[in-house]
Amino acid sequence: MQINPVPGYHDIGGAAAGPIDRIELPWQHWEKQVEAMRNLLGDATRRVLSLDELRLGFESFGADKYQRYSFYRRRLEAMIDTLEKKGLLTREEVMRELATVRARWRAPEDC
Amino acid sequence: MSTTAPHTHDHGDDAGHDHLHEGLVVEDDVGNLEGQQLADALLAVLARRGILSTGEVTLEIQNIEAPGTHLGAKIVARAWVDDEYRQRLLENGKNGAAELGIKVGEAQLVVVENTPTLHNLVVCTLCSCYPRSILGQPPSWYISKAYRARAVREPSAVLAEFGMKLPPGTAVQVHDSNADMRYLVLPLRPVDTEAMDETALRDLITRDSMIGVAQALAPSNTNPV
Amino acid sequence: MSRTSALPVRFGPGAVVEVLDLPISGHIRTPRYVRHRRGEVVQFCGCFLNPEQLSVGDTSGPAVPLYRVRFRMKDLWPEHLGDDADSLCIEIYDHWLAAMTTPQQPPSP
Repeated sequence: MQINPVPGYHDIGGAAAGPIDRIELPWQHWEKQVEAMRNLLGDATRRVLSLDELRLGFESFGADKYQRYSFYRRRLEAMIDTLEKKGLLTREEVMRELATVRARWRAPEDC
Repeated sequence: MSTTAPHTHDHGDDAGHDHLHEGLVVEDDVGNLEGQQLADALLAVLARRGILSTGEVTLEIQNIEAPGTHLGAKIVARAWVDDEYRQRLLENGKNGAAELGIKVGEAQLVVVENTPTLHNLVVCTLCSCYPRSILGQPPSWYISKAYRARAVREPSAVLAEFGMKLPPGTAVQVHDSNADMRYLVLPLRPVDTEAMDETALRDLITRDSMIGVAQALAPSNTNPV
Repeated sequence: MSRTSALPVRFGPGAVVEVLDLPISGHIRTPRYVRHRRGEVVQFCGCFLNPEQLSVGDTSGPAVPLYRVRFRMKDLWPEHLGDDADSLCIEIYDHWLAAMTTPQQPPSP
């Protein structure tokens, strides 16, 4: 007898849920940047990250990480994971760069 | 840091069925700053490796910012005033949009028409598929777990939460946008709009009416039909 | 390089089909709530590369026919209280469908 794989934690059509939060959130610049990067990585000149590869990425995070992260943070993390898996960069390299980026965001000096 | 938007429902159910406790995960200022920094770090690495350039990203951001509800409203208003256009649009949404100079980037646009006896509602249960190339970004609630879980199971209750009550005898058809098609609801043209021209009609057509959680606006005020 | 081949289109509008519960893991686009349910094909959408393959970087194909299939809400949810004519339409890839001769739903698994 075959045992079918456990359905993904994203496959929630029909699950019981509470009221819908009618919240309207602005689209942040970094979120647009994430979407733009993904579009370019998947375009005809590169084809290094398709939408389905990205989706597999966040569907494979594990339920905890999936539920903890916001929609675009999931995509950003999945992009890094998948690009690393494909040998195009390493997460360590991105983290080193992040340290550099953070150093540029200096706290304002006291007036 | 991400936080969960407040929600209210009791947790007194039995353990036997799936129950989603989370509301929508929302970034606060710290979370948005972290997101920006991490996105900048990724961009810097990709640029240094020659995989893409910051200039390309800037242009692509402009591309994805450009579409919005106004494009969908243009399509719907034309369908309301021109019956042959409406039929062509229902036959092939991508071609119908192209007739108005609107480029649909997705594989195909399926336009689903509301009638006095049928109301359409669109959802993507698996993620967030939405006709972004014409309507722009979906609202946060569209990608929330509660909407995705409940719209396919209890659409009338979901519509009631949005303040929509359908006349008795109206069937609901839910479209789960789970693969390559994208969906646009063609809302009912409100009554008393015969004298309005196409441009004026566009102002009645809201994003929510093209997703299916609302009717188009009534002509003289902002109350839905 | 020649165009990707496509699998044959097996169904047209009106065909009664049942959604299979295939033991495929990974990135799939057939939600669990329609597995084992019977519905009617309303539209052939065209042939597309299989997302199960695309998700692992395999773009070799073949392209798979995609159909919009309509289900009665009362066949999906036993407790459905709405209109009898309430329905749900969803896109299903060809390999997830089996031809049926009658619309009668199988017993719940």
